[in-house]
Amino acid sequence: MLEFDGLHKAYGSNQVLQGVGFSVAPGQMFGFCGSNGAGKTTTMRIAMGLARADAGEVRWDGRPVDEEVRRRIGYMPEERGLYPKMEVGEQLTYFARLHGMAAGPAARAAVEWADRLGLGERRAERLEKLSLGNQQRVQLAAALVSEPDVLILDEPFSGLDPVGVDSLAEALLEQCRRGVPVVFSSHQLDLVERLCDAVGILARGRIVASGTVPELRAAGAGRQLRVVVPQAPHGWAAELPGVRVVSEQRGDTVLELLPGTDDQQVLAAALATGPVTHFAWREPTLVELFRGAVTATPAEVAA
Amino acid sequence: MTAPVQTPSSAPTTARSVTPGTSPNSAAAQVRLVAGREVSTRIRDKGFLIGSAVLILLILGMLVFQVVINSGGPDPRIGVVGGDAAVGQALQAQGEGLGTDVDVVDYDDEAAARSAVAAEEVDAALLGPAGAQPELVLLRGDPQLEALVQSAVQGLSVSDQLTAAGVQLQPAPQVDVVTLAADSEDNTEATIVALVGVVLLYSLLILFGQFVAQGVVEEKSSRVVELLLATMKPWQLLAGKIIGLGLLGLAQMLVIAVVGVVGALAFDVVELPGQLIGTVLTVVAWFVVGYAFYASVFAAAASLVSRQEDLGSVITPASIVLVIGFVIAIQAAQDPSSTLATVTSYIPGLSPMVMPVRQAAGDAALWEVGLAVVLMVLAIAVVVRIGGRVYAGALLRTGGKVTFREALKAER
Repeated sequence: MLEFDGLHKAYGSNQVLQGVGFSVAPGQMFGFCGSNGAGKTTTMRIAMGLARADAGEVRWDGRPVDEEVRRRIGYMPEERGLYPKMEVGEQLTYFARLHGMAAGPAARAAVEWADRLGLGERRAERLEKLSLGNQQRVQLAAALVSEPDVLILDEPFSGLDPVGVDSLAEALLEQCRRGVPVVFSSHQLDLVERLCDAVGILARGRIVASGTVPELRAAGAGRQLRVVVPQAPHGWAAELPGVRVVSEQRGDTVLELLPGTDDQQVLAAALATGPVTHFAWREPTLVELFRGAVTATPAEVAA
Repeated sequence: MTAPVQTPSSAPTTARSVTPGTSPNSAAAQVRLVAGREVSTRIRDKGFLIGSAVLILLILGMLVFQVVINSGGPDPRIGVVGGDAAVGQALQAQGEGLGTDVDVVDYDDEAAARSAVAAEEVDAALLGPAGAQPELVLLRGDPQLEALVQSAVQGLSVSDQLTAAGVQLQPAPQVDVVTLAADSEDNTEATIVALVGVVLLYSLLILFGQFVAQGVVEEKSSRVVELLLATMKPWQLLAGKIIGLGLLGLAQMLVIAVVGVVGALAFDVVELPGQLIGTVLTVVAWFVVGYAFYASVFAAAASLVSRQEDLGSVITPASIVLVIGFVIAIQAAQDPSSTLATVTSYIPGLSPMVMPVRQAAGDAALWEVGLAVVLMVLAIAVVVRIGGRVYAGALLRTGGKVTFREALKAER
C-alpha cells in the first residue's frame, strides 16, 4: 500500500498543500486530478524526495519512503529530463543501474524496454536527435526500465498523440497487472475516467474527493434526471415540488431532484404534457464531478 | 507510439516481487556509477580527444625545439692534407674550447680534399698547414670555422717556432670552475621544467574545471537532475562528477608527464633525470590538490545557474584567481625568493601554481611546502562543505539565477 498522509507544504506564505492524504493499493491505478497549481506536482516531488514536506509523510508498505525505497520507484517528472547528448540505450542502462540493477541485467532491460516502446532502432542514437514524441517514450522507458515496485508519473500523457496515449495506457495497465501501484496526474479527465480504478481530486491544497469513479458519482451532490418532452410548454417542471430545473431547451430538460423526491411523480407530470421520448438518470462525467468538487464549498476557501 | 506493448513473458504476477539482478546500491556504488558515466562520456568526446592529442604534440614539439636549440648544428668535419698528427690534435683542442667536437679526416692530395669539400663530405679542407702559406678550402664562408682553423694553425706555428728556438713549453694550467650559488645550473633546469609543468597544470585546471561546471549546468538545464536526485543524494552526484573527471584529468596529466620525461631522456635534453622526475611528480601532486579545490568551487558556482549562457558570469571570479596564480608563478620562476612569490605560495588556490616553481628553484624548505599543503587541504575541506551545501540547495531551483545566499539557506 502506498500512502500519502497529511502532507503540508508552504513556499513562503503560499500554502501549497494543506493535509493531502490518499492511499493506493498494489495493482491499483490512481488518477490524480486538480486544477493548475493545485499541488499535484508538489505532492509527487515530496514522494520522490525532491521537496521536503513541512508535515506528514509518504509510506510504502507501512514504512516511510526513504532513499532505498525510492530506488524501487519509477518516476517521470513533469519537466522531462534526460541527458541530451547520451545515446538512448546507454542512458536507459545508466538509469537501470542507478536504481540498483547489475550491469548485465541493466543492459538487457534497456534493450528490452527500448524494443517494447518501439525505440529499438533508435537505441544507438543520441537523445537530442529524436523527435519529441520519441524522447517522451525514452522518458517513460527510463521510469520503467528497472522494473520498479511503484510508479509515480507526473502528466505522463501530455504531449502524446492518440496512438501514443493508447500505447502508454496499455503499458501502465500492464504494470498494474504486475501488482504495481500506479499514481499519475493528468488533465485529461476522460482518460483518467477510462483507466483509473481510483481518482483523487486535489483543490486548494486538499483532496476534496477521492474514491472509485462510481463512488464519486454516488457522493456527487444531487443526481440529475434528463427528461425530453417535445410538446411540453416552457417551464413545465418549474412548479414540481422538490425539483430544480438545471437546464431546459425545447423540451430537453435536465432536472435535479432533492433527496426524497419521487422520480415517478416527475414522470407522471411529464406524461401529462404529452409524449415522453427520453427519461433517464444521467451519470455525471468525471469532468462534471471535477467541476463540482473544485468549485464547491466556497466556505472552505475562507477557512 | 505505434508498437503495441506486449506482455513480457517473464513478468512477475505477484506484487512486490524482487526483480532479478536488483539490489540496493550503496552510496559508494552510486558515486562510482556517476564517475563511470563522466569518464565514458568524456573519453568518447571528439573535442576532448583532439585537445589531448594537441597537448601531447605541444610537449613533444617543445622537446624537439630544445634539442635543436641545444645542438646548434652538426659537428664540423675538417679535411687535412699534409702535416702531422699535431695538426689534427690542435684542431680538435681548438674545437673543444668552442664547445664542438671536430672530426679530422686526412686526405692524400689536394684534389681529393677539394672534391670532398665540393661533395660536402667535409665542411672544409686545410691544405699545407705546416707550410708557409696554409690554405682553407670551404664551399662557402663560415666565420666560426675559419676562426677555429686560424687559431689552431696559429697555435701550431707559435709552438713550432718556440720549439725551434729551444723553448720547452709547459702544459698550460687547467682552470678550475667554481660557482658561488651552489648548483645554480641544475636548479635553472628544474625551474624550467616546473614552469612547463605549471603551464600544463593551469591549462588542465581550467579545462577540467570547465568540464565540471558544464556538466553541472547540463544536468540542471536538461532537468535530468530530478531523475538523478530521486536515486541519490546531491553530494553523491557531486562527488561522482568531480572524481570521475578528476581521474581523467590526472590520467591526462600523467600521460603528458610520461611522454615529457621519456622524451626528455630520449632526446637527452636534461642533465639530471632524477631531479626532472622529482619536479614532475611535485607538479602532478599539486595538480591533484588544485583540482580538488577548483572543481568544488566551479561546481558550486555552476549550480547557481540553469543555462550554459549564464555560466561565464558565475565562474569568472574563480577563473581570475587561477589566472593570477599563473601570472605569479611565471614571475616566481625569475625571482623565486621574492616576497610576492613567498607569500602567495602559501595562499590556498594560488599555492598549487606558485609552490612547485619555488620548490624546483630550491627556494622552499620542507616545512614551507608542508604548511602550504596543510593550508590547501583545510581550504578544500571548507570549500567542499560550503560548496556542497550551495550545490544541494541550488540544484533543484531552475529558472533564473540563484544567489549564493539563497542556495545556502535553501532547504528542498
